[in-house]
Amino acid sequence: MDLALDAQQRTFISVAEVWVPSGDKLVLESGNYGGLNAFAAASGKESFAMGEGLPGKAWAEARPVVLKEFDGSYFKRTEAAKAVGLTAAVAIPVFAGDDLKAVLVVICSDDDERIGAIEVWKEKDDLLMLDDGYYGAAKHFEWVSQHTHFPRGQGLPGGVLAADTPMLMRDLGSGYKFIRSESAGKAGLTTGLGLPVPVPGDDDFVLTLLSARGTPIARRFEIWDARAAKVGKAGGAVLIDGICAREGALWDEDKTRRVSAWQGLIGRVLGTGIPVVESGNVPGLAGYDSLVALPIHSDNELSHVVAWYC
Amino acid sequence: MKKLVVIGAGMASGRVLEHLFEADPAAYDVTLFNAEPRGNYNRIMLSPVLSGEKSFEEIVTHDDDWYAQNNVTCRFGEAVTGIDRDRKVVIGANGEVEYDKLVIATGSAPFIIPVPGKDLPGVVAFRDLDDVDKMKEAAGGRGRAVVIGGGLLGLEAAAALRLQGMDVTVLHLMGHLMERQLDESAGFLLRRDLENRGIEVKCQASTAEILGTDKVEGVKLTDDTVIPADLVVMAVGIRPETTIAKAAGVEVGRGIQVDAQMLTSDPDILSVGECVEFNGQLFGLVAPLYDQAKVVAATLTEYKTEFVPKELSTKLKVTGCDLFSAGDFADGEGREDIVFRDPARGIYKRLVIEDNKVIGAVFYGDTADSNWFFGLIKDGTDISEMRETLIFGPGFQGGATADPMAAVAALPLDAEICGCNGVSKGQIVEAIQGGATDLAAIKAVTKASASCGTCTGLVEQVLGVTLGDDFVIPAAQSMCGCTDLTHEEVRRLIKSQELKSMAAVHQELGWKTSCGCHVCRPALNFYLLADWPVEYQDDPQSRFINERKHANIQKDGTYSVVPRMWGGMTTPDELRAIADAAEKYNVPTVHVTGGQRIDLLGVKGEDLPDIWADLNKAGMVSGHAYAKGLRTVKTCVGKDHCRFGTQDSTGLGIKLEKKLWGSWSPHKVKLAVSGCPRNCAEATCKDIGVVCVDSGYQIGVGGAAGMDVKETERLADVASEQEAIDLATAFMQLYRENAKYLDRPYKWIAKVGLDWVKERIVDDLDERRALIERFELSQSIYQKDPWAEHVAEIADTYKPLADFQLEAAE
Repeated sequence: MDLALDAQQRTFISVAEVWVPSGDKLVLESGNYGGLNAFAAASGKESFAMGEGLPGKAWAEARPVVLKEFDGSYFKRTEAAKAVGLTAAVAIPVFAGDDLKAVLVVICSDDDERIGAIEVWKEKDDLLMLDDGYYGAAKHFEWVSQHTHFPRGQGLPGGVLAADTPMLMRDLGSGYKFIRSESAGKAGLTTGLGLPVPVPGDDDFVLTLLSARGTPIARRFEIWDARAAKVGKAGGAVLIDGICAREGALWDEDKTRRVSAWQGLIGRVLGTGIPVVESGNVPGLAGYDSLVALPIHSDNELSHVVAWYC
Repeated sequence: MKKLVVIGAGMASGRVLEHLFEADPAAYDVTLFNAEPRGNYNRIMLSPVLSGEKSFEEIVTHDDDWYAQNNVTCRFGEAVTGIDRDRKVVIGANGEVEYDKLVIATGSAPFIIPVPGKDLPGVVAFRDLDDVDKMKEAAGGRGRAVVIGGGLLGLEAAAALRLQGMDVTVLHLMGHLMERQLDESAGFLLRRDLENRGIEVKCQASTAEILGTDKVEGVKLTDDTVIPADLVVMAVGIRPETTIAKAAGVEVGRGIQVDAQMLTSDPDILSVGECVEFNGQLFGLVAPLYDQAKVVAATLTEYKTEFVPKELSTKLKVTGCDLFSAGDFADGEGREDIVFRDPARGIYKRLVIEDNKVIGAVFYGDTADSNWFFGLIKDGTDISEMRETLIFGPGFQGGATADPMAAVAALPLDAEICGCNGVSKGQIVEAIQGGATDLAAIKAVTKASASCGTCTGLVEQVLGVTLGDDFVIPAAQSMCGCTDLTHEEVRRLIKSQELKSMAAVHQELGWKTSCGCHVCRPALNFYLLADWPVEYQDDPQSRFINERKHANIQKDGTYSVVPRMWGGMTTPDELRAIADAAEKYNVPTVHVTGGQRIDLLGVKGEDLPDIWADLNKAGMVSGHAYAKGLRTVKTCVGKDHCRFGTQDSTGLGIKLEKKLWGSWSPHKVKLAVSGCPRNCAEATCKDIGVVCVDSGYQIGVGGAAGMDVKETERLADVASEQEAIDLATAFMQLYRENAKYLDRPYKWIAKVGLDWVKERIVDDLDERRALIERFELSQSIYQKDPWAEHVAEIADTYKPLADFQLEAAE
């Protein structure tokens, strides 16, 4: 297994938070600040109108937004972020049709050691081009990615676009399997989670989270399928893929795991349709410290939930 | 402790060992041979390993610790070279092992099609991890892969290689993908899904040769198409690996023959997995292998049980492709289909019913209830009480009413009715409550059914459910029972949605049957070939017998043969050839037709190719006297001979016939050219009639002289012969592109109006030119003499299957 086993390692993502619409503003629903209490306190007082700050921009522009430099930007909590070493952020809007359900914001700390990638790919003329991405210290991989495009069906982004479903790739850097494998291997990137980000309009976006051994994005990934075409009228979701540093493969074709709405943390995502960020002494974290569970609404239906645990 | 030797560490033998150790861990001292240098792994998950969606470690079913815990002596990477049954030893490359009981689990070998180049480096099968590694290595160089075989394994390999970055072409010998598991409609959806991933799919593609010198460079098909390739994956099938068993003298048929206890002809040797043959049956899917494994373990522990093959189901491991297939879904007498399609969501479900039982199921796009349906098939459940709502799945069963609108009534308000415009049942109900009480009003208020129209029936049912008796669902003039759409709607949708195959029409327009009926298939075949002459391939099976046989069948089962006489002109040589043919083939009746042709009536079916060949030699081609297409151009002798003739009517007739012959049309088309208004060629009652006058040519259209008698209407007067030909050609194409199948031009004109026709081909010169260009494109494909084609290619099919007049031998 290429996932890191050391639970004490630093992770690529330092903060995850969920902002939900309330009236004409986005307000904080939940967050995991990893002990960055001052930033948590600053965030708790904040709210964003459409177009305001990073969450408001993702809402207004109806697309995932990568922000790699806070200074002089529209990021509203720059001082609080800088004070605790946070340097870059990605906002992922969760739309159900034209309705914004939430904005998930992940914030990273930059240093010479943190390796990983959070990428936004946008379809143009049947090719996926890199819209933007945050790579931490994986500068060469960033350069390679900026000069790569994916036709439908090829590579993790192209596969996600063609299949219209989240996908989890293993062994990104093991030599010949991943289109950017050589550079990914050098960067230590091992596991890739790709997911479609449906937005109003005709644009197609794919988000990829590429996890490195040293500073993993997560130690456990899960993909849940909640489409009626898969689970029927009974509803709920079934685990279609997953990998865990401790338990190994999580998928089992003979004994598929299933949750119903409101059953546990994944069930809460199914019930509310908005992302869940949890940490601390909460049941359902599979022994890890935190969880981010992100729903995907496709064709006005909550189709999938992707979850990652640190 | 007794000694058990197992040859082959596949999925079946792995299960045998699990069950054996569960039943009696101390029963045997086990030695496990495997030619592969590794132990048991989940072979059916190799596809996601190839794609990168799983790691090999994840699919290992038994690791070193497991073998150690169960005291299994592993001889991996060591091929077995023989079995000495007298001494009861297995001979491995590194030495012998004694056995009390032996299990042969050698699995299967890939079938490699015997074509030149099959042994070139770069040609691989897809059976084990080594093959996966070879493919990954090849994928590292990007490049092009050709996968031969559009079955489960081939398609999984194709999708995986595409994900790995290769340009992939799938070659499949049959007419649609996975034809053993899927019907044509599901095969269409699968193909579309794969093409959406950038995978090229070629059906009816027969491999002639694999090209290359030092390594594979391409694949050549029997039609001489060459596809460049850096990697060729052979995935055309498997056959049981029986070499060791056969050499040991164990009885082998197509596979190693076993009884219900999985014992071979040697009572101390058992066999399991893809290498066995049981009651003439071979096994390629994992479910029966696991059942066999239980029986093997029971037999080894002297517990008597029996292997009973069960119904099988199929799923494809390509992420995002949801398909399910089980049971028997072939057409047959006494079988009925229940079909559900949701074009907006790409869903197709088909159940095959026989004697009130589900005997087969094919689902694409929605497999949620597949296990429930599979249970109905396996259990032979009587479904007569839930027949009306069966296709909606278990959620609609149990006390459900037989009212066919019950399913619509039961839909929640947020259920989507119109996929094109995203209109829910609730929005339609709201509109109805707001005063929209018919379909037109619903369309205007909500846009439901205003785009593709396939949800029209559902919208009407919502109207019916909401308004009760106040709304009567109109009896639509649908094309046939397979669809609620009219011919005109289907034609429009074929164009607007660019539907280019029969399966595409069935799926995207929500056909209620799996593959159409005798009413819609000929119409669709025409619409598709008329609108997409290049992309669509004519389907002879969707034609009436006259068009399949290229001759009119008569009431006594013989045929009539009518050679073409251009413009009604002939020569002594042609007449001699016709006379000779009539004599040679004992043609009982020779008749001169009203269209100025000679009809040879009473030709036996088996003589058709020969008489055609003789007439072809004399320079004559089919007169298409049977066709929905151009029949004849009748002429008078014109100004060359007639005192009243104003123009060269025969010359124009010949030119028109040579331009228009061979084109298929909604109904038969007859032309005539008269040299003067006295109209000896009777041009004013033809579909297209030209009357020559001193000032030029009067073009009339829409005449008839059959069940209905109707004079042509004047389309235009033109001065030149070329304009007359252009107008006739453009009219023919406009008719081909727009008319309902089996509407003669006069019926079609009555619907669209002559002014509509004039606007397009008389007034709009650009449109006239475009119509002519499209007609000529179509003619480049369809203007062929079918007689010559059939004589050259399928003459054998005209021979009788048996001669029942021959007396039996003594």
